[in-house]
Amino acid sequence: MRAIDELAQLPPPVPPPPSAVLEAELAKLTPIATRRPVRQLVLLTVVSLAYAGAIFAMLAIRHDVHELPGAWMICVGLAWLVGFIAPLYLATVPRAGQVVPRWQLAGVASMIGAIGFIGLGLVVHPSSAHGAAPDWQHVGRGYGCLEFGLATALVPVVIGAVFLRGALPVGSRWVAAALGAGGGSLGGLMLHLHCSITDGAHVGLMHGGVVGVSALLAAALVPRVTHLR
Amino acid sequence: MADAKDLMQRYCDGDAGAFRELYALVAPRLLGYLLKMARERALADDLLQQTFMKVHRARAAYVRGADPLPWIYSIAHRTFIDEARKHKRAVVRVGDVEELPEVPAGLTGESADRRDDGRADPELVTAALDALADLPHQQREAVVLTKLDGKSVAEAAAIAGTTTGAMKVRAHRGYEALRKVLGRTGEPAKKSTGGAR
Repeated sequence: MRAIDELAQLPPPVPPPPSAVLEAELAKLTPIATRRPVRQLVLLTVVSLAYAGAIFAMLAIRHDVHELPGAWMICVGLAWLVGFIAPLYLATVPRAGQVVPRWQLAGVASMIGAIGFIGLGLVVHPSSAHGAAPDWQHVGRGYGCLEFGLATALVPVVIGAVFLRGALPVGSRWVAAALGAGGGSLGGLMLHLHCSITDGAHVGLMHGGVVGVSALLAAALVPRVTHLR
Repeated sequence: MADAKDLMQRYCDGDAGAFRELYALVAPRLLGYLLKMARERALADDLLQQTFMKVHRARAAYVRGADPLPWIYSIAHRTFIDEARKHKRAVVRVGDVEELPEVPAGLTGESADRRDDGRADPELVTAALDALADLPHQQREAVVLTKLDGKSVAEAAAIAGTTTGAMKVRAHRGYEALRKVLGRTGEPAKKSTGGAR
């Protein structure tokens, strides 16, 4: 289209000089420490794991741990660990040469984490001789697990929000969801090591649900801090 | 002239001169984008200043070694969207009370004395701007970024905060809508210089 071609060929307009307010800011310009994504990710991971470890030290490991299949314990534990680190990585570390983190992938990771852990919990769960039997009396404890998981998720979400405060012009909701999903997965890992209920509904909805609830809460609240205004 | 990456790093190191160089490098392109989106020179100027103020306040979020241009464009994009929302709300309020007359937007977004290109056909440019203004803002943005500013679909998607698939669809729909409108407003299809670029 010729009209569009004509418009495209117009030379760029002459911009006005920087505003007086900006000039005043420039007059007192000082060096500033810029964001270091990998360092932030390492710090976020280490502090979150230390916090989770401190919580775990106050609790007991699940009493049926010796009766459960070792491979299941290790594989599920690793899955929770990957569910913790992968979304945090995508939420904090941009592609090489870019400033904004991979918010689209972070969003996808948070959804996969939430749906995946709920689904896996419902489908893949061992029955143990001393594991509590599935019935309605575990609903109350189920909420306890949810609260415990969310409390564990709090630290990674808060630290991530602090690291990314005012940094995201786009995709802040998805990045926040990924922080929540990562934190929720850490909570899920804690529950995997502590809670001895092996009922699929409990493991899926309460342990896996921590990831979804945490992602939703973070997506609702964290962009207030991380969105660039 | 140094590249944007180097200038941004020196700016973050406290070099105000680097900021001025960065401004000189980026502001014309950014203003061109904002003008095509907002269509009013005064508004585009204001959005440009707001964008650079935000860049200044958020410079700690910059990652060394990264190209700052997509990030700055994203900030400009958000600034425009926020302003458009405010403007929309203001228009609704005015419409409700019917106190003020409707004021048409400027045609080209810049005064005639500021336009320094004598080769462009003003009629065609005006027709293109009019047609652009009638597009939904997402399609307008897609056309401006991909067809007029020469960004790749991926770059445009990153700036607008959407997926490449959605950006492709928006650009295609926007371009098709423009083709229809510009066809009706007298731009001869025979004179076409090649269509989509």
